[in-house]
Amino acid sequence: MKKAFLVLSVIVLVVCTISAGGKTEKSQAAQPITLSLWGGWPEIQPVYEKVAADYTKLHPNVTIKILTHPLREFEQKLSATIPADQASDIIEASPYPVQKFIAAGLLPPAPPKIVEYMTKAGRFPEALVEANKGEDGKYYGLNYFQGRHAIFWNTDMFKEAGLPGAPKTMDELISYAQKLAKRDAQGNLIRSGLSLRLSGGGSGVGEKFWMYLYPFGGSIIEQAPNGKWKAGYNNEAGFNTLKMYIDMVWKFKTDDHKIKHDAEAFQLQQTAMFARESWVIGDTKKKAPALNYDTAPMPRGTRWGDLSTGVNLYVSRSCKNPDTAWDFILFLNSDENLRYLLDTTGWLPQRMDADLKASLDKEPRYKAFLFSHPDYKIFTYPTLPEYDEILTKFAERMVKAFLDSSLVDNPDGIRKVLADAAAETNAILKRAGKLAE
Amino acid sequence: MRQGVSKWSLERKRRTFCYLSLLPVFGIFTIIRIIPIARTFILSLTDASLISLKSNFIGFENYKNLITDDLFHQALVNTTLFAFSTVCLSVVLGLLLSLLMKRKTTLSPLYETIYFLPVITPMVPVAIIWKWIYDPSYGLINYMLSWFGVKPIGWLVYPNIALWAIVILSVWKVVGYNMMIFLVGLRNIPSMYYEAALIDGAIGANLFRYITLPLLKPILLFITVVTTINSYNVFTQVYVMTTGLQGAPGNTVRVLVYDIWENAFRYSRMGYASAEAVILFSIILLLTLVQFKIVKSES
Repeated sequence: MKKAFLVLSVIVLVVCTISAGGKTEKSQAAQPITLSLWGGWPEIQPVYEKVAADYTKLHPNVTIKILTHPLREFEQKLSATIPADQASDIIEASPYPVQKFIAAGLLPPAPPKIVEYMTKAGRFPEALVEANKGEDGKYYGLNYFQGRHAIFWNTDMFKEAGLPGAPKTMDELISYAQKLAKRDAQGNLIRSGLSLRLSGGGSGVGEKFWMYLYPFGGSIIEQAPNGKWKAGYNNEAGFNTLKMYIDMVWKFKTDDHKIKHDAEAFQLQQTAMFARESWVIGDTKKKAPALNYDTAPMPRGTRWGDLSTGVNLYVSRSCKNPDTAWDFILFLNSDENLRYLLDTTGWLPQRMDADLKASLDKEPRYKAFLFSHPDYKIFTYPTLPEYDEILTKFAERMVKAFLDSSLVDNPDGIRKVLADAAAETNAILKRAGKLAE
Repeated sequence: MRQGVSKWSLERKRRTFCYLSLLPVFGIFTIIRIIPIARTFILSLTDASLISLKSNFIGFENYKNLITDDLFHQALVNTTLFAFSTVCLSVVLGLLLSLLMKRKTTLSPLYETIYFLPVITPMVPVAIIWKWIYDPSYGLINYMLSWFGVKPIGWLVYPNIALWAIVILSVWKVVGYNMMIFLVGLRNIPSMYYEAALIDGAIGANLFRYITLPLLKPILLFITVVTTINSYNVFTQVYVMTTGLQGAPGNTVRVLVYDIWENAFRYSRMGYASAEAVILFSIILLLTLVQFKIVKSES
């Protein structure tokens, strides 16, 4: 009787536990979760939508809403919504503009599982993992895609000019640009030899200047041994880079403010070459599929390398389901979804251990963006909340300088432009208490 | 005595009713206008940041820094040039058009609609269309100039030309509004004044100088004040046409509201941006008072 009672009690307990446990799991599984993702690269929206749909198939209770905006509008949206805890659950952004939010404690650090995934040796470029650190030394966000640069060159135009292939050095870049530029009967430039970024809002002009400043040996800001910073372009490297721009526009006349620039010019065959990120391949496939072109690594100067701008995914402070959000971010980083990203948009995944062979076989021009050589250094944005202001204000000064024809063969004028800009850069650093005196 | 008391009581009730009726409007106005303006004044004396809850009182430090800020100076000069040109051109053109259209004909409603259409068209699409018109390679203006052998002009490339290119667009956008208001004023001038002046021998320009213009002064004041305020607040067309996009064909024509926006929402320097906003507020207030004073003293 006693034994029967004991057996009965155990059975009742087991049944109760199972039913209670089952009920909890069932209720958790059925609990609907809605996540929002905001991005600043509208061309990636279809990728997010497809991956979100696949994720929902695996997790039917999870719905992910995607919203993308042009980058400049998106940055304003983040400034207004992150401090008010009104931003999306998942935020797509480069580490450098989010540094100010991280410094103010408005974005939470990545959880240990994500940090472990991110810091695994050989998974992501070291410079881009380092860039994820806040000033507190913690890691924020998880790497997703990157903007690596390469020279896009029109093979027909190079053939026509009798040039053997893409320029390998900065000297070749300058001399090839002169051979490739084309003018009409009145002497108006109708095709630039090298399309430079001469205008436009935001920090883009500064970023593109930096890409050519690097091989000349300079940088926008450089770090002193004490960890503080100062302007890194008020020197011979900066002089040579600004002189190159001025000469190309006003002396050699290989580029002109009045003609089309950038990817649009390349696709319209109004420039023979320019430097840009890998997304141009995907864009050109849609807009100018018959264009004959190739890509090559950035040219070499006194040093050699490429600027990589990482774009990460962050989970906001106001996210109610951070575990699910991070899980979706990891899902986006799967081999299959990264191949889909590359094939669809041309944006290069940051993951170095992802199997992209099928995509690269299909489109070998991506290889220039994954170029690797012991001397080819990958550099990226410093993790400094003030860097956006520094680069934007520097860009504005450069835009004015590019319009100034009096700087041709005027070394003192060029040096003054750089000295004035450096004074402004250093003043911003000083205001933030980060100037290396 | 009794009648006097009840009359006073009725008057008091009427006044109370009026004040109570105005209270909701005044409340809303206080919340959406007076408090934000007062808050901007306070913020301008701090180092407030958009992304930080803490801010320190720094006195007039932001104002001192503005004195040596080249970008602010450039913005102030550009905005003043823009406002002065836009106000002068749009008021004169608006008045001329309204004089031409004063007489009502069967086609008057059609012409009024045509001139008023730009006013009701949103600024962003208008600015995008004008950006294409100004395009150095494919733009309509350069195409038409090429018929006369004029080389392509970078309308939005060089800041000095770009400023005037934006003035043209802004005048085109606002002139229809000014014309309509002038037209209402003109059509409301009683014809007996003109008849009397004609009997006295006044003709043409004299009629305009001694009858039309003095009677239009309140309208002129209204239009000048409104156009000045709107011109000092110029932002959308400048942003869309010269700045908004990466690699945009134009270069920044820095105006005050752009500078305020950049400092506040790009660099998160709310205190500094508030100091700029206070200066903009003061300039507009001063100009409005001067305009009132001029018109009042003349009348």
